[in-house]
Amino acid sequence: MLGLDTCLAEVMSIPGALDAMLIDHTSGMAVAFSTASGVDADRSAEALTEALRATSDGLSRSSPGDYVRVDEMLITTDKGHHLLRLLDTAFEGPLALYVRLDMERSNLALARHRLQAISNQLLT
Amino acid sequence: MTSLDTLLAGLARERATGALRVGRNGTIFLSEGRVTYMECAQTPGAERLLAAGGLVTEAALRRARADGGCARLLEEGCVTRGELQYAVLGAVLDAAFFLLPGVGTRPKFRPGEQHWLGGQWFFDVAGLVRECARRREQLARIWPSADLDTAPVRPVPCPPGQSVTLSKAQWEILVRADQVSTPLELARQIGRSGYSILLGVRRLAAAGLLAPPEAPALPKRARRPEDRRPPHDPRAAHQPLGPQVTGDPADLALLLRLKKALEELT
Repeated sequence: MLGLDTCLAEVMSIPGALDAMLIDHTSGMAVAFSTASGVDADRSAEALTEALRATSDGLSRSSPGDYVRVDEMLITTDKGHHLLRLLDTAFEGPLALYVRLDMERSNLALARHRLQAISNQLLT
Repeated sequence: MTSLDTLLAGLARERATGALRVGRNGTIFLSEGRVTYMECAQTPGAERLLAAGGLVTEAALRRARADGGCARLLEEGCVTRGELQYAVLGAVLDAAFFLLPGVGTRPKFRPGEQHWLGGQWFFDVAGLVRECARRREQLARIWPSADLDTAPVRPVPCPPGQSVTLSKAQWEILVRADQVSTPLELARQIGRSGYSILLGVRRLAAAGLLAPPEAPALPKRARRPEDRRPPHDPRAAHQPLGPQVTGDPADLALLLRLKKALEELT
C-alpha cells in the first residue's frame, strides 16, 4: 500500500522524471521530496503553492458563473515539463504531487497516466 | 523555566521513547528520539480530522483504538495509508505550532508510553521547530498583526470592493463566523487544522473583510454613591436646613472673646 513517503519512489520511476515532491497546498510545506541536488525543497514548495493559488484565482475570475477545480497543471518550458496533480483530501486543503520531467526522455501522456494512477492509490 | 523545544531537543539526543505531558496543554509522544504524535488541547487531533472529513466514523475509531490500532483501521479499508499519514502529519504539525512556543508548565516524561496513532510518520525535533518558525513567518507575511488570532472572527457587513475571491477555507470561516467564536474554536467546529483557519483569517483581514478587533473596554465609571448626589436631586440625602452648625462650645467662647476685644478697641 502506497504511503505519502513511499509514493515518491513510484513517481521517480516515471520515465524522464528529474525531481518529485509532495506538497501540502494549505501550508505550502514540502511533505516529501526526492533528494535532488541544488533544490531547496521548502522554498520550491512554497513557490509552487503560490503558482497554484494564482492559477486557480485567475481561472475563477476568467470563467464567471462556473466552479473552478484544478485537477492538473502542466507547464512546458524550453528544458522540460512541470506536472502538478492536485489530490483532494477529505479533511484538509489539497495535496499536490509535483514532478519535473526531462524534455527529451519523457513521454507526457505516459507521465500523466502514471501520475493519475499513483494518486488514485494514495487517496480514496 | 526551560522552553519546550530545548527540553524536546534533549529528549531527542537521548533517543528517548515515551510521552511528555505538558500540563493540561498537551502531550508529545516520542519514539527513539523522534516525535510520533502530538496532542494539543487547543487544536483538533487526527481522530477529529478523520471523523470530520467523513472518512471514518467515531465508532470505528474507538474500535480500532481499543483493539488492532492503525492496522485494523487500514484493513477495514475506509481509509488509505496515505490519508492516515496525512491526518497524523497535519494534526502533529498543528499541535506543534500552538504547543511548542509555550514554556513547559510542569512537563512530565513517562517512559514507554505510546499513542495508538503514532508510528505513521516520524518527525525529527529540529525539523518540527523549523517548520513552526516557517509557518509563523508565513502568517506574518500575509498580515503582520496577531491581534485577530485570538479575537472573535467578525466579518464586515459589506466587502470593500465590488467582488471578492474566497478560498474553500475562507468560505467555511465566513459561513461559521458567529461574531463570538475565535479562530481556534472555529477550527474545532469545522474540523480543520487551527493553522489553516489562522491562514484564512489573516488572508481575510488582509483583504479588508474582517472588522478590526474591539479595543479593550474602557474602565467603567464608578457609580456616584447616593450621598454624593447634587442637592437639587430628589433622591439626594436630606440636608439640614440652614448652614451647618458645629455644636462646639469652644467656638462660642472664641466669639465672645473676639467681641470683647473689638469693644475694647473702640
